[in-house]
Amino acid sequence: MIKFHGDAADGLGIVEPGTDRLTAANATSFKDDVLGLIEAGTSRLVIDLSKVDFVDSSGIGALVGLLKRIGHRGEIVVSGLSDNVSQMFRITRMDRVFSSYDTAEAALRALRENA
Amino acid sequence: MPLTMTDPILVPPLKVVVADDDALQRAHASALLRKLGYDPYEAEDGAAALDLVRQLGARILLCDLNMPGLDGHELARSVREDKTDHYVHIIMVTSQSQSAERERALEAGVDDFMAKPLDRASLTARIRSADRLLRHEMLLAERNRVLAEAKEQIEADLRAAANAQRRMLPAPEARVGDCSFHSAFMPSNILSGDMFAYYQVAPGYIGFYAIDVAGHGVHASLLSVALGHLLTAEYFRRRAFDDTGAPNPAALVATLNERFFRQDSTEYFTMFCGILEQKSGRLHYCQAGAPSPVAIGPTGVTRQIGDGGFPVALLDMATFENRCDQLDSGETLVVYSDGATEAESLTGEAFGEARFRGVLEEAATRPGTIPGKMVEALTRWRNGRTLQDDLTILVCERTQQNDQVSR
Repeated sequence: MIKFHGDAADGLGIVEPGTDRLTAANATSFKDDVLGLIEAGTSRLVIDLSKVDFVDSSGIGALVGLLKRIGHRGEIVVSGLSDNVSQMFRITRMDRVFSSYDTAEAALRALRENA
Repeated sequence: MPLTMTDPILVPPLKVVVADDDALQRAHASALLRKLGYDPYEAEDGAAALDLVRQLGARILLCDLNMPGLDGHELARSVREDKTDHYVHIIMVTSQSQSAERERALEAGVDDFMAKPLDRASLTARIRSADRLLRHEMLLAERNRVLAEAKEQIEADLRAAANAQRRMLPAPEARVGDCSFHSAFMPSNILSGDMFAYYQVAPGYIGFYAIDVAGHGVHASLLSVALGHLLTAEYFRRRAFDDTGAPNPAALVATLNERFFRQDSTEYFTMFCGILEQKSGRLHYCQAGAPSPVAIGPTGVTRQIGDGGFPVALLDMATFENRCDQLDSGETLVVYSDGATEAESLTGEAFGEARFRGVLEEAATRPGTIPGKMVEALTRWRNGRTLQDDLTILVCERTQQNDQVSR
């Protein structure tokens, strides 16, 4: 379901959830798919939410689950947050947990510069 | 107990009805069937055959095409019209010249054909084939029955658990100090991941909370019930006040965060935890990932309380803040779970905060009606379909001095 752009050489990549809603219905499979990428060597990830217009509490749980798993060995940032998703991030303070960028490209640049 | 295709089902031989107006043909067919180990029942016309099939619960019908009264077609059609829970396999006996009739017979519900005169080899093959199919059907029916029974048992258990959960909740309407509480609690599917309570926690202080465990269903309800048992008035008293006796709801939330956080799990919950000082109307609260409650004045003006906070048990580094607001006499605080604002219409549109506030504004003069009105509005919004997520509406009405409780 997820879409991945990147290559294993530098461990950088962009993930799109491939759905317009990240909810209890698909959060677990989303998390498992991305965990597969992390295990395959992608340690610095942009999760591009530009096509996602709704994230519920299970979706937030999945994003934080990924962050917990990657720990200090890598980094997860988000991009393209819609107003609705931004609001969810603000109310749950996830805006303090995930660095957020307007576009996936900007997020990728920032990850490269941080390296 | 799972059944597999190889499990034998101990059933007596299948009952076979032989319908033919020709006594000789009937006797011949019956003799062949007896040799195959069946117990045949004979009928001399279609009507008698139909009666026998119904009475005996016969599973195989061997019938002639031409019979007085009900002919083979009509007999097959009548058998098919009976809405029984088992299948009757119909084999029609025709002469060579009647092969054109076969299409009509298939449409009437006949399964197979045999040519006259009946010979033992071909009857054996056809009856064995029918027997295989029917036993397969019986196996499936048995498996279905076992599943239905298991489902019923599971649902009965879930309903018992849901009743136990509901009994943990405070009364839907209650008065504590100078506040009237009104509430609605609707699980999306039998059990709920929500929990709430309110109580006098210390002289002059009312404590209350609403919790929403991420996700819903059995898994979420196990945590919500555990939290419901833990969060007693006594627990509030010990955890939500500092050493000087001042309200400190964030301390209670931080304790819960420490207790329920697990590195290897993503199970967490959102919470709104409030302590209301009776004399002053000062509201001390900690908002932990829950939607911002709404305060309404008697004139219908609404305002939002709080702007967010970390959820509980999601991150070990999370910090929790105490905030203060004022709930004056005549004002009402509405705490709710996101099952309200996130409820979707048939077209996938969320109910949203604007509509939520609209309902509150309309009911402002009668806060006691808010939970019921909100459930009504959401049910309309969902076109009567059940909610996708658990719903809690907790209304705390600070009644005016000497005022009656609104209903």
